[in-house]
Formats: sequence, C-alpha cells, structure tokens
Amino acid sequence: MAQTPTILQFSGHQYLRHRLVLSILSGKPVRIDKIRSDDKNPGLRDYEVSLLRLLERVTNGTIIEISVTGTAILLKPGIIAGGSVVHDCPLSRSVGYFLEPIVMLAPFAKKPLQLTLRGITTDDNDLSVDIIRTVTLPHMQLFGVSEGLELRIKKRGSPPQGGGEVQFLCPIVRQVKTINFVDPGKVKRIRGISHAVRVNPQFSNRMIEASRSVLNRYIPDIYLYSDVYKGEDSGKSPGYALTLLSESTTGAMHCAEAISQPGVPPEDIALQASRALLTEIKRGGCIDRQHQVLVLLMMVLGSEDVGRCRLGEPTTRTIQFLRDVKETFGTAFKIAPADPSDQNTPDLLFSCYGVGYINANRSLA
Amino acid sequence: MESQSHKAHRPAQSGAKAEKKSAKAKGKEKQHGFNEKAFAPRSGRRAERQGRRTAERDQTRLHVPLVDRTPDDQPPPTVVAIVGPPGVGKTTLMKSLIRRYTKQTLNQIQGPVTVVSGKKKRITFLECNNDLNSMIDVAKVADLVLLMIDGSYGFEMETFEFLNILQSHGFPKVIGVLTHLDLIKKAATLRATKKALKKRFWTEIYQGAKLFYLSGVLNGRYPDTEILNLSRFISVMKFRPLVFRNSHPYLLADRFEDLTPREEVRASKGKCDRTVTLYGYLRGTNYRLGTKVHIPGVGDLDVKSVQILGDPCPLPDAESEKRRKLSEKKKLLIHAPMSDVGGVIYDKDAVYINVPGNFTKGGMENPGEGEKMVLDLQDVGSTLEDVVAKSQIRLFGSSSRPLSVQAEAGPSRLGSDASEQSDSEEEEDDGDEDEDDDEALSGEEDEEFGSEDGFSDEELDVPDDEATLGDHGRSAPRTVRRSMHGLSTSSGKRGEVDYAESDSDLGGEDDDDPGPSRRFVRFDDEDPVDVASDEEGEEQDEDVPQWKLNLSERAQAAFRESSRSRRRKDWTKLIYNSSASPESILGVDGSGDTSSSGVPRMDDDDFFTVKSSAPVKAEEDLDRTKEPVNADELKQWEDEELLDSIRHLFITGTPSQSAEGVDSNGEPYEFDEEGLQDGDGEDMGDENGEGKPSLNKDADALAAKKAELKRKFDEQYDEPDSAKADFYTEAKEAMARQQQLNRAEFEGVEDPEARALLEGYRPGSYVRLELSSVPAEMVENFDPRYPIVVGGLLPAEERFGYVQVRIKRHRWFAKTLKTNDPLILSLGWRRFQTVPIYSLDDHSIRMRMLKYTPEHMHCYATFYGPAALPNTGFCAFNALSRDSPGFRVSATGVVLDIDRSTKIVKKIKLTGVPFKIFKNTAFIKDMFTSALEVAKFEGANIRTVSGIRGQVKKALPKPDGAFRAAFEDKILMSDIVFLRAWYSIQPRKFYNPVTSLLLSDKEQWQGMRLTGQVRREQGLKAPTNVNSIYKPVERPARRFNPLKVPKKLQAALPYASKPKLMKPQHRATYMQKRAVIMEPEEKKAMALLQQVRALRKDQVVRRREKKEEKRAEHRKKIEKEEAKKDEKEKERRKEYMRAAGMKSKREAEMEGGGRSGKRRKT
Repeated sequence: MAQTPTILQFSGHQYLRHRLVLSILSGKPVRIDKIRSDDKNPGLRDYEVSLLRLLERVTNGTIIEISVTGTAILLKPGIIAGGSVVHDCPLSRSVGYFLEPIVMLAPFAKKPLQLTLRGITTDDNDLSVDIIRTVTLPHMQLFGVSEGLELRIKKRGSPPQGGGEVQFLCPIVRQVKTINFVDPGKVKRIRGISHAVRVNPQFSNRMIEASRSVLNRYIPDIYLYSDVYKGEDSGKSPGYALTLLSESTTGAMHCAEAISQPGVPPEDIALQASRALLTEIKRGGCIDRQHQVLVLLMMVLGSEDVGRCRLGEPTTRTIQFLRDVKETFGTAFKIAPADPSDQNTPDLLFSCYGVGYINANRSLA
Repeated sequence: MESQSHKAHRPAQSGAKAEKKSAKAKGKEKQHGFNEKAFAPRSGRRAERQGRRTAERDQTRLHVPLVDRTPDDQPPPTVVAIVGPPGVGKTTLMKSLIRRYTKQTLNQIQGPVTVVSGKKKRITFLECNNDLNSMIDVAKVADLVLLMIDGSYGFEMETFEFLNILQSHGFPKVIGVLTHLDLIKKAATLRATKKALKKRFWTEIYQGAKLFYLSGVLNGRYPDTEILNLSRFISVMKFRPLVFRNSHPYLLADRFEDLTPREEVRASKGKCDRTVTLYGYLRGTNYRLGTKVHIPGVGDLDVKSVQILGDPCPLPDAESEKRRKLSEKKKLLIHAPMSDVGGVIYDKDAVYINVPGNFTKGGMENPGEGEKMVLDLQDVGSTLEDVVAKSQIRLFGSSSRPLSVQAEAGPSRLGSDASEQSDSEEEEDDGDEDEDDDEALSGEEDEEFGSEDGFSDEELDVPDDEATLGDHGRSAPRTVRRSMHGLSTSSGKRGEVDYAESDSDLGGEDDDDPGPSRRFVRFDDEDPVDVASDEEGEEQDEDVPQWKLNLSERAQAAFRESSRSRRRKDWTKLIYNSSASPESILGVDGSGDTSSSGVPRMDDDDFFTVKSSAPVKAEEDLDRTKEPVNADELKQWEDEELLDSIRHLFITGTPSQSAEGVDSNGEPYEFDEEGLQDGDGEDMGDENGEGKPSLNKDADALAAKKAELKRKFDEQYDEPDSAKADFYTEAKEAMARQQQLNRAEFEGVEDPEARALLEGYRPGSYVRLELSSVPAEMVENFDPRYPIVVGGLLPAEERFGYVQVRIKRHRWFAKTLKTNDPLILSLGWRRFQTVPIYSLDDHSIRMRMLKYTPEHMHCYATFYGPAALPNTGFCAFNALSRDSPGFRVSATGVVLDIDRSTKIVKKIKLTGVPFKIFKNTAFIKDMFTSALEVAKFEGANIRTVSGIRGQVKKALPKPDGAFRAAFEDKILMSDIVFLRAWYSIQPRKFYNPVTSLLLSDKEQWQGMRLTGQVRREQGLKAPTNVNSIYKPVERPARRFNPLKVPKKLQAALPYASKPKLMKPQHRATYMQKRAVIMEPEEKKAMALLQQVRALRKDQVVRRREKKEEKRAEHRKKIEKEEAKKDEKEKERRKEYMRAAGMKSKREAEMEGGGRSGKRRKT
C-alpha cells in the first residue's frame, strides 16, 4: 500500500528556511539537493547546519540526513514539541535568521515554546530582534496568536563578536484565524528604537535627531526611543542601529532599519533608515515586504475560509514561497490587482482558501 | 290580548349603557385571540419560576456554533443509510422509498441509489449489510440512519453494536423503524411491545427519538401511506454538521470502473496494480488536489486526477422552479449505476447508453458468419504487431538467425500510444472552443462505443476514424474508453501551426498559448509585454552616471512607468504557470546579464533549454530577509517633490484624498488616480468635461459615499440593536459573513481547473477520482453491496506515530482487555489492527503500565498507528467476524495526544543478597552484572524485605556488579535487598489495516491472532518453563539461638528488664510437702457449708427447669399465632388470584364478546 509518503524535492541553497518550515508543518519529508554544488566551498554553511540542529531540538522525532559532501539534505519531520530550548547561534548570521522559521512553527507546537537564543541580535542580513519584537509579533496577533507571545531582549550583541541573548516565548494555538486585511489605511504614527552599545551613548540621540528631520514633515506622532544597554548586557562588540516602524489607522505596519557601518556617521545611518521607511510606505500594501511570507503562510494555514490580504509587489522570496506552498499544500493564491479601476497602485490582493490546518500536536491529556 | 303589540326593544345608541355594551363587545372580540390573563401566573414566585424555566429551555436550544461547509446552493445528496439485522425488511423499505420518490420499482438494488426528493434536495439511499465492516463504514458517511428493528423479535445485538459505532463517530440522526408488527396478533401485546421497544430506543438515543411503525407488506412493499409519512419525516430532517465530516473531504462511491489497460492485466494474469476510477458526490470540505485518500478496507491511495462531471441526478433547474412541487418528470430521475438502472452514464468525455439484453458473449445460440468472425477477432490473444514480432522470417533456408523486426516495432507502438494519449487530452482542452464540432464528435464516439459492446453493424460507418487511428484489436471488451478520434480534427485546427505533430509528441502539456512568438509573455486580455525590454529600460536608468539630472521627473516617470508595467503583469500566471525564476519575474536580476534570462518563460514554451551557466558572483547570494539597501533609490528621497508625493499616505495628507481613500468597511482602497497622475491633489469635481463615463463615475462615487455615510450613521445610532446581540448570535453572524465572502471570492474564476487549484473541488459536485496503483484484489473481488467510502486525509493523518487515547472497555464486552493484545480500531476513516499498551496516570508523576483495563473506569492506551486529530472518537473490536460470540464492540474512547515517543513505565524490582555485613554497611551482590550498571544506580534507594532502608553507594571491584550499600540499621545475611525502579516500555510498532474489501469473502478478514489462539488452532501445547513448574516447597525449620544477655549487663539492668526465664521447679513446694488434719469443729463447719452449697445448686436447677417450661409454652403460643397468620395470608392471596383470574377471564370474554357483538351488529 502507499505507505511511503510523498517526498518534496527542491534544489539550491536559497529559500532553505521556508522550505524546511513547510515540510515540518505539512509533515512531508523534504529533500534539498544541489546546495552550492557549483560553489568553491560546496555544501551547507555553519549557520544552516545550526538551523537544522535548532529545528531538530524544537521537534520530536525529526530525522535529518546530510550527504557526505553536504550538498544534499533529507529531512523527515517529526512533530513540533516546543518546551524550553537553548541554542547558541553561530556568528555568521544573526538571531533573526533562526527566529524567523521558529516564529512560523512555534504556534503549532505541543507545548508553549521558551527559546533562548544567543548570538548577534542585529545585522544587515536578517530582521533584527527589534523588528521581530515590534513588527513580526504584532503580525502574529492578527492570526490570534497573542496571549503570552513575547520576545525579551536580554542582551544585545552587535557583529562581529555578538554576545547577545534573546528569549522567545510563544503560546500554542489550535488553529490560526482567517484574516481579511484589505485596507492599508493611512500612517498615523511612527515609532522607532535606536540603540547604541559599547559606543558613545550620544550616538543614539544623534540618530533620533537626524531621523526626525526627515519624518517630522509628515506626522507629529513620532516617538523614537533610545534603548540603552550597559555593561554585560551590551554584548562584545560596539555598534548602533535605528529601527523604524510606521503604523496605519487600520494597523498596517511598515518597518525599516539601518545599522552602523564603519566610517559612516550616525546621522547618515538615521537618514538611511528613514528613507528606507519612506520607500516601504510608498510600496504600499497592508504588510511590508519582510513579512509577506509569514502572513501568506498563516493565511494558507487558516481555517477553510477565504482569507484576503492586500500586499505590495511580491518579493523574490514571496514568489518562490507561493510556488513551494502550491507544492506542499496543493493550494494557490488568487492574485488580483487590489484596485482594478486604479491605474497607479501596484498593490495586489492576495486571497486564498485556507487548508484548515489544525494543530494536531496539541494534546488534550 | 293576542294582538297586544309590545314595544320593540331599542338598544341604546349612546350614553353609558351603549358604551358599556360596546366595550363588552370589544372584549369578546379580543377573547378570540390570545388571552393574556389565562396564562398569567398567579403569584410572583410562580412567575419567577416560569421565567427561569423558559430561560433554561432557551439555553438548551443553543449549541456551539459550527460552520457548515456544505454549500447551500448545490448541496450533495443526503446519505440515508438503511441498517438492520438480516431479514428485517431493509430491501423492502428501500424499494418502497425509491418507488415513492421515482415511481419506479427496482428489482435488484446494489450500491447507493440517488434520487431527487425535492426542489433543493436529493437523497442517496444506501443499504447496509450485516457485516461489521460495512456497518462501520456506513456509520462514517450516513447523514441519516433508518435503523430497522424487527418488532416481533425486539432489539438484536447488531443494532446495539451499530449504535455504539455511530456514537463514537459523531452520531448522525437516527430514525427507528419497527417492522414485522403484523406478526403480533394481539392488540394489547402489540401496544406493550411498541411501548417497551420505544422506551429502550429512547434510552439508547435520546428521549423523544423518532420511532416509526410499519405494519405489513403489500405487493412486496410497505403500505404507501406509511412510506409517505416516513418520507415526509426524512425531508424535514435538519442536520447538524458533524465535526469530523466538517473537516474532511469524503465521497461515497456510487460507481467503480477499472481503467487498467487490458493488455497489462492479461500479461500479469490479473495480478498487476490497477488504475481505477471512482465516481460520487463530494461531501464534507473542499477536496484539494494532492490530498491523499483512504478507502476503508483497501488502504491509503494517491489520487491521480480529479474531474468534475455533469451531475447525473441534477436538481430541477430554474424553469421548473416556479412550481411549488416537484414536477412529475423530475420525479423519474434516479441514479444508481451499480444497480444498472437509468441506463445513461456520463463519463469524462463520453456518454454510455446501456441497452440491456443486447449481447452477451457466449450467450448466442448459433452465431452467423459475420458474428463468428467478430467473435474470433475478439479472442485473439496478441496484437498483430506482436504476432509479426514473434514470427520469424528466414531469408534463406540456411540462415542461422531469423530477421528481426523488434527494433522497429517497439518505438512505433510507443509513438502511437503517446499520440493517442495526447490527442485525447488535446481534444478535451479544445472542447470549449468548438463545441459543435465536439458534440458531433462525441455523438460519433457514443455510437462507436455502443457498437463495441453491442457489435451492431455501425462499426462500418466510421471507417476513416479507424484508419487514422490504427486501432488494434482487443481481446476483451473495454469497460472504460477514452476518446481517440480527435486526431484528424485537432490537427486540422492546428493547421496554422506547422509542428502540430511534434507538439502532440510533447505530451502532458496544457497549452493555452501555442503561439509561435516565443519571446513574449502572452495573456488573454493584453498586448504582449516584452518583459525583457522593460527591464532593459531600468538597467539604462541605472547605467546613467549623472543621476542627479532631472531626478524628480525621471523618478516619477519611472515610478509611473514601472507601476503601469507591473499592473499589466498577470501575477497568478507568472507565479504558478511559468518556470521563470522569481528574480526574472520581478525584473530585478542584479547581475546585468543578457535579456534572455530576463524573459519569463512559460514552461511549455521552450523545447530546448539552454542551460545557462550560473553567473559566478563575487559575493554569494545569502538567504536573507532584508533586501540590500539600494543607495540610489534612497538618494531619490532628497528630492522635495518626491517627498511630498507620498504625503497622501499619511493621515495628515490632503483631506479630499483622505475622504476618498479611507474606508473602514474593508472595501478596496482607492487612490485618487487622476490626482496622482497630475502630480497634485486636485479634486475630481473639475472633470465633468470628460463626458459620460466620468459622469457616471461621479454618480457612482456619490452613491457610494452616501451609502457609506448612511452605514456610519446606522452604526452610530442603531447601537442598541447590535449591542443586544449576545455571543451566540454574534458568532453566527460572523460565520455567515465569512461564508458569504467564501462564496463571493472565487465566483469570478471561470476556468474550473484554476478554481480547483484555488479552492479545491467543492462539495456537492459529482466527481470522478482516478486512483493509481490500487491492489488488483479490490477490482477482482469488487462487490457493490459493500460500500466504498473514499475519505480524504489531512496532512497530519498521513503520518504515523504513537497515539495516546482515553479508552474505556465497553460494559457489555465480556472480557477484560489486556496490554499487548491486538485490538482492531475504527479511528478516523481507518480500520486497523494494532497493539495497545494500557496505562494510568500515577499521581501525575508517571504513566504506569496496566496489565488489564480497569473495570468501569477510563484509562489511557497508547498504540502505534496513523495519527488522528485530538478529540477524534473511536471504537475498538477484538474480532470483526460474525461468529465471535457476544457483544463485539470491546471499547470506546477518544484521541488525546500524538507523539513520536512514549513515556509509559512499568515497575521493576531488582533483587540482591548481602555477602558481607558490617555494622550498617553491607556488600550486596547479584543485583547488577557490571560496575557500569552500579554506577548508573549510585544513590538509588534500596530496601530489605524487613523494611530497613538504604542506599547504593559504590561498585566493588571484585565480584562483577557487587556494590557497597549503607543501611539505616544492620541487616541480616538472610535478608533480600531490593531496588524499586521504573522501566520504560514502548508499544510495538504494529499496524495492520483491515483490508476487508480485498477479500473475496469480505467478512472473513483475519488479523494477527493471539498466541493462544494460534496454539489452539494448531493443537499445540504451551511450552513450559522449567523454572515455572511448581515443586513441593521445603521449608527447613529455622533455629534461633537463645538470647544470651551477658552477666555484666544483666547485673546492670533494672529488674523489669532482667531476663526472667527460669527452669520449672523440680522439688515439691512447702505446701505440697505438708498434710492437713482438721479439728472436729472445723469438720462440722465444712460439712455444713457443703450442704448449703448443695441446696443452692438444687434450687438453681429447679428454677431453670421452670423457666424452660414457661418458655416452651410461649413458643407454642407464638407458633400458633404464626400459623394463623399464614392461613390468613393464604386466604388473601387466594382471593386476589381469584379476582385477577376473573378479571382476565372477563376481559378475554369481552374481547370475544366485542367481536361477536360486532358480528351480531353486521
């Protein structure tokens, strides 16, 4: 009889995270090959191996096989167990790299997850912990994952040495709610966090000043916080960054951030962040680019109802994600212009019929 | 006096009296209606009680709001299952009901029968045979169960078993039907039986459950009026969605076809895996492509394809909708493919008309010459090609090797097959374009197909088709055919494209745009967009070094341009139907390589794909979430105008725009497009000059605005209404809203395939599921009397793991259940045998294994098997066969947890003996075998039999596994030391699906047997372990040394503690040694005393005798009274019985008399 489950086949090192997430959620084994097979340094990188380790620790019964060359992996997913887990992230990627897939998985675990991650908290490849705390988690609240959802930044750690620590607490849900988020509204407030560790604390104030010079013209409701970490809590390397987020009347959020670069004054960093925020706002949609994948995944997993969400132009990650979702869950999105009569909005209306994913791991006993 | 005329009475027209009268009249009028006084409570207390009662009754009406996933407009037929023990009249009832709905009498009913029962209602009738497997499957799909009970016999075991199965799978609605009531002759007995059965039925289901009485059989049917009543009850039945069915797609197959190529079957002697199609109405939730299905009795299967077919039993359409009743014509509709009625079957691409009694092979008496030839043709075992291939031609008589034609034959055959395949598919695709053509074609096909079965002479009518086909002879009649006549027409249609042949050779493509221009992405409604050029433009932008020139203008232009080009993209097609890389779709290929890679390729476009060597980049592309910052893009923001251009996105933006754009209703957000294009926020008011469309638009906008304002007003001022809604109504409203959205969202998607991809196949549609690699036995042993249920599996249910359930042995099951005994479970869609381990929660510390299930109590069970969602109910059986005695449902329960590991432990006691004892320390051996084991148990608590507690300290080097232990007291050499530990056990990984549908005798499925059963059947004795044999126990008497207290210590002890054990006295005592001689005085006194004592004794004896006498007298008296009482009682009973006898006699007489009286009257 057809006892062998269908194996998902992917190739390439890109989009590894959401493929692993889809595999674990759907329970289908995944084989990913040609991982940097043409590269001078072929195979998995240390952070990818570390991610696999983390996933194995968060789940129960997961079997991961890595080929000898490291260019192919086979993951047979177990169930998402949750519980308290501590993980040391390598210094090649920041904590955000690991948190992103975990945020997608954790609501469907058996027990509430308490994950402690150590490493770099802010870098320019992945979402910083500030964005995850202030933007990603509120996005999860749209889907009914709210009570007890928290990210505590215990210590900050800047690249290259890191030394930061965050604690991620996530409750479990039976089923995520269906959303119908089609009105981006208008930006009503802007918030921001600027932090500076192991440098002159005046830097963060300078960043706030510079950022205000750009943003003040639009809206008066701007609060930029200066987040101070001292001594042990400030990690091992110096660095500073500005994280900005705008919130609209309907709760649509856009975010941007910029982090310190050697030889660039903090004012320039602030300008960079502010302008990136304006670019984000201009792109429109109810969800910003970084969170498209998260929101679309949660829409797919929703109850068997139509969920709708208005997004800006999809990113490459989003496009690949949509294709992978079709392969794993057999469902596709209807993508229509948000406003057919309007010539100028690039916005698209994504609607899909949820697969009715129920957290089967949750126990009643 | 007679003529005296009285003054006529004139009623007062006005005044007090008139008013009084009119008031009275009004009051009288009022009395016709509701008299509020009549039901008014007399006291406040009573009023309060009444109010409370109504409130409570209102609450019982409420249920947890559940979403019903079945669509309202085209619901699938309700499944009405007819269940009961054999001989109770199931088939008769089914015939009667079908006759009632369709005015047809079916002679032989097999499988489900679908009829139209109302304007918006259809019913699928299904008869369930007496097999337990069938009962389980039916319980999982039936919406309504007609539970038939033999009234003359009463309830049978199967009925109760079925009710228990129903209960654990969600309990659909049940109507009881009592039959054979005509066998009870006496009215009183009939009444009593009805009452007793009803009472039992109500306790089993619920108080007030519907029970129907069918009196007798007329003309092989039940009386029409009774059936009419029953059908009315069926039609008004309301169904509450069951949780399991509301989360799974499923289908009750009403037709079954084998698609496997005959040749393959013949070659493998019928043993090859088959490809079959199943037909039926989808039920439950939407069926997604790629969902695995489980067919109970067969196993998990993959669905190869799904097609929506035309409804074979359609609801009456709009033209007959005007009538209140179902028209007579519609009443004749019946769909029962397995019973072979109706005669017309619509398949994917053909219509079959079954003409009964036409031709059966071998049924002809003496066939004519032509018929004989055709029959011979049918019997040819191999194709012409095969024969040619096998035949050997030698050029010369002396040639050693014959000429071979195999090399040629192989590919040509393959090619023809492929073309057949692709042609049929092509034709299907083209179907909508030239419908007329197609219809004509299908008509031809029909005839042809009919002829293949029927072998009329029509075969000659379509010779050209045959010629083009090169069809090979067939050894067996085909059951299911696919079209293969499309070749000529389709190639003609594709004449414009020169390479039709090669196109078809590609196979398996769904080409919407076979246009020759490969460079363009073509969509239905737009001009071809050259994406590459678009991208080039952007690149040029980037290439310009002096970006600061006219930055703002160009930025805006670029923005507009890019947005326009973006708008033109059909994202759905680009993402799902093309193989272009995400980067090329977005046109953001970072490396400026050639435009060819930038063109999104439709997957069918490129016949030859040039493998582009991956551009070697200096920096490798990380899997990053944040996009790299584009410095140029940010530089644009130095421009004031651009900064101002997004002002409308903030709440501080221009008011006119905000009024236009903000929409709290969730309606699409509208930009003021003209305003944007003009670059400034102008109002729309000045565009009247543009003509009618804009006027219309204005009017629309105004109307929308008004409606919006009205809604806002309503929201504000109609607050009390919405505030009154409680949680229940609110939840229901939210559900209704969501359902509305669900319906509306994909309404516009025309292409059924695209729609299926979006939302799956909706319940209510009649589909054809194609299943591959189905076991051959299913086809060979197919029996339409056994229902085929196709249940869709959720992703979680495909996986295997340890399932923890809460279980309770059924109180009617005779035996207890034992850990590690195989048990057959019906869980979810599946039926399978597995090996559970029972356990109980031991003070929330551990899960402790139980050897047997407790009596009258729930316990946990853990087994290995396919996962099911928590809260799914199940029932368990020890055996499914009919010959297992007693009640077969052995346990019921619910799933609690799914995991990949278990935490069940059982108690283990390790024993050891001391071999050396110091004060409180002892060396223990025989508990462990190595020092390593000891190391693991260091610090563990141990105990002697006598209760002295201790601890494992450290391993000893000398005897392996010996250790030093410390105790709270000195232990004895004879003590046994034991260590209580917990040993974790895993359930055996045993999962054995009940494959009853694969058997020829479907009731004789046998799973794993118990060892005892196997031994009994093979006549073996249980092997005996030598150590377990009972031997006579010899217990040598234990000798204890006497306690010796040292003299010194004895001396120091207080007297009370001194040992007082002494030897018995050897010598006579002082008194013993002395003789006593009395004085005469003393003698006298002694004698006197003796006399007095003797007297006293005598007195006592006499007194006792007297008392005894009296007592005897008393006893006699009592006995007498008792006898009297008995007599009286006897009398009374006699009297009563006499009266009762008289009464019954009188009654009997009355009955007889009544009859005779009637007779007398007539």
